[in-house]
Amino acid sequence: MRCVRIWFEKKGDVRFISHLDLMRTMTRAIRRSQIPLWYTEGFNPHPYMTFVLPLSLGMESENDAMDIRVEGEITNREVMTALSKVMPQGITVTCVTEPVLDPKFIAFASFDIAFYTAESAAALEERIRNMLSGTELVVQKLGKKGHRKVYKDIDLLPHIKTYELKEKDGAPVLSLVLPAGSTTNINPSLLADEIIKGGSEDDYYVIIRKQLFAEGMKAFE
Amino acid sequence: MVSKEVEKILPLVQKPGRYIGGELNSVIKDKEKVALRYAFCFPDSYEIGMSHLGMKILYSIANEREDVWCERVFAPWHDMEAQMRKHGIPLYALESGDAIKDFDLIAFTLMYELSYSNVLNMLDLAGLPVRAADRYSLTPIVIGGGPCACNPEPMAEFFDIFSLGEGEEVYDELFDLLEECKKNGSSKEEFLRRAAKIDGMYVPSLYDVEYNEDKTIKAVVPKNGAPEKIRKRIVSELDSVKYPDKFVVPYIEVVHDRVVHEILRGCIRGCRFCQAGFLYRPIREKSPDTINNQCRGLCDVTGYDEISLSSLSTSDYTQLEPLLDKLLEWTIPEKINIALPSLRVDNFSDELMEKLNKVRRSGLTFAPEAGTQRLRDAINKNVTEDEVLRTSRKAFEGGWTAVKLYFMLGLPTETFDDVAGIAELAQKVVDEFYKNPNKPKGKGVQVSISVASFVPKPFTPFQWEPQDTREMLLEKQAHLLSCVKTRKVNVSYHKVDISFLEGVFARGDRRLSKVIYYAWQHGCKFDGWDDSFLFDTWLEAFEQCGVDPLFYTSRKREFEEILPWDHLDYGIRKEFLISENKKAHESETTPHCRIKCAGCGANRLNGGKCDAMRKNLV
Repeated sequence: MRCVRIWFEKKGDVRFISHLDLMRTMTRAIRRSQIPLWYTEGFNPHPYMTFVLPLSLGMESENDAMDIRVEGEITNREVMTALSKVMPQGITVTCVTEPVLDPKFIAFASFDIAFYTAESAAALEERIRNMLSGTELVVQKLGKKGHRKVYKDIDLLPHIKTYELKEKDGAPVLSLVLPAGSTTNINPSLLADEIIKGGSEDDYYVIIRKQLFAEGMKAFE
Repeated sequence: MVSKEVEKILPLVQKPGRYIGGELNSVIKDKEKVALRYAFCFPDSYEIGMSHLGMKILYSIANEREDVWCERVFAPWHDMEAQMRKHGIPLYALESGDAIKDFDLIAFTLMYELSYSNVLNMLDLAGLPVRAADRYSLTPIVIGGGPCACNPEPMAEFFDIFSLGEGEEVYDELFDLLEECKKNGSSKEEFLRRAAKIDGMYVPSLYDVEYNEDKTIKAVVPKNGAPEKIRKRIVSELDSVKYPDKFVVPYIEVVHDRVVHEILRGCIRGCRFCQAGFLYRPIREKSPDTINNQCRGLCDVTGYDEISLSSLSTSDYTQLEPLLDKLLEWTIPEKINIALPSLRVDNFSDELMEKLNKVRRSGLTFAPEAGTQRLRDAINKNVTEDEVLRTSRKAFEGGWTAVKLYFMLGLPTETFDDVAGIAELAQKVVDEFYKNPNKPKGKGVQVSISVASFVPKPFTPFQWEPQDTREMLLEKQAHLLSCVKTRKVNVSYHKVDISFLEGVFARGDRRLSKVIYYAWQHGCKFDGWDDSFLFDTWLEAFEQCGVDPLFYTSRKREFEEILPWDHLDYGIRKEFLISENKKAHESETTPHCRIKCAGCGANRLNGGKCDAMRKNLV
């Protein structure tokens, strides 16, 4: 039995699939691929599978990864070939590797947020710059207090070290790095919602998670 | 595939995965290269519709034809509907994302009466007039099928055609005719006149209904050459009919998320309350080899780890053990679970239980249906208390600690003693658990009894019977609860208001169309969902339309009365139903079809063939 890390993209309409649904989808894809999976040895045998960092519903991802355990003699290349044949539309396996870091070492993630708004690109960019260069940017985050759900105020600015504004197909794109993982995790939609707040009802945005990093912005492998 | 407009609203709704399409094995065609666009609509949520086997079968058969593109459509949930209406997005098909109002054929599967308001809502959301008479052009043709098509009269105003019986073989004739009419620029009237000549196609607008002064039906008169009786279609051999070699695999979790295989159509038992048991006759079995091969292929192509063998009474399949042996050969190494959802208490063997325990254990459910032997005889359930207890004992010895029992309240001839009998039987099952010397330590037993309200249905021996009133059902439910003395037994039951409405439509006639229209206009939809059901609005609709719902539910009908579905022929002879009805009132049973043919008449549909008899001779 050995662990392999499967890297994949999740793009297009499948971004509307939740994390739990993605797990189900992947389990079935792996079954179809007939990779020799390792099963737990309990009463109710099931394959071992874990996603390194669950993705929020509605986000695309360019460098997502999950770990599975396989049995017998099968190379990473064979795993990759077998899986590529059975993936549903929108999910593409990009690479299969030996895991280097445990998922608990993930500390940051980089994101691109594309805005589709009634406001002109220039005006929106100007507004974003002003927001991000202020002294604080407090938003409400839904958290838990015991079993109750409560809103907490958090200031986003200390979490945004660097950012960059680009344009893609006429839409302004905000690129930034945010804390991610099990200790501190900031969902970029908190910022994106704040940016389009008060705009036209038809405004929307699409978030792509680009890369995962460990402490010190070391690439997560 | 979704459009930019839909993409915008998806972040605003619950479970957006319902609305994106693109699932594995969904069929994509070039729309420029097909002659007919066909929307197969299920008038309920995605999770329910995607669990429906009939849709999988018909979807794959229709898409076999190169000139037809069949796509799936489900009822958007309240939040999605609100967003679609707000942004002017019409109802679209999941495969192409195209609006269905421009399709040629729109089919609805009518599984239960409480989805009727959703049909109207979906037509309206598509941007089409809901009344058939207001849709003038040849296309789209709106067609209905499924079990409710056996009495579709309450929906007659909204549909162009109803397809009676099994759809597998009627498709080609319908597609060919519609293609020809489209090519020739024929009128909708001409198409419907010709469609009415296809066996199994019922065109309601070609029949006039006349009423007596007491509101019963005087006559149903065909016009323009439509046949007097419309006979349901069946497939003759299950082995030779196409079964899907692929299932669309949903991204999101649906109710039945597994490979489903139909092993047997029809039922030999003849339980007098059960509409399916009569509607799906004659009995036809599929061969174990065909089932085994098809299951294997489906598991490979979907990646599912569970197979459910489906039929009305699975343990009556004559080849069940050989089939399980064949299946287990490969399902055990591949860790695939086999579920048999409809087992009977009277032929549940040790061998069967051992085989089912091989991979993963699922729940055990049995349906005694009634609490006393007298009532079980009256409904012809043919199950004894000893059998129920023996089976429970076997299950407990096999390690199960929870059993589910299904019952009904409001059956014809039922008394309060029969109701108390349900609680007594459940108690005896609990006692059976504690008699087991090897019962697991520290674990209690849970007996769940689920009590439905009986609704008399067309084409059953009880089609003439009055339905218990809501007040009576509530009283019986309260009585049952007062009879349950232990927390080892938990009771759940159906809402009586919902059963009442189901009863009105099940045996309703065309005068109910306007009630459905009114209720839908005033916000009724998803009536089968407790949270969405607006009973007061329905009562207001009956009131405003001057229709008395009790006329349909609480009245004892005479055998001579013309029933709204009498011009539809489901193979079952009326004389047979009458004789079964009389026997019910004498608590006299009828042996099942393998012991003795009861002469229901359904074998006429299959050239005199019925597998119940054929297997008897072997």
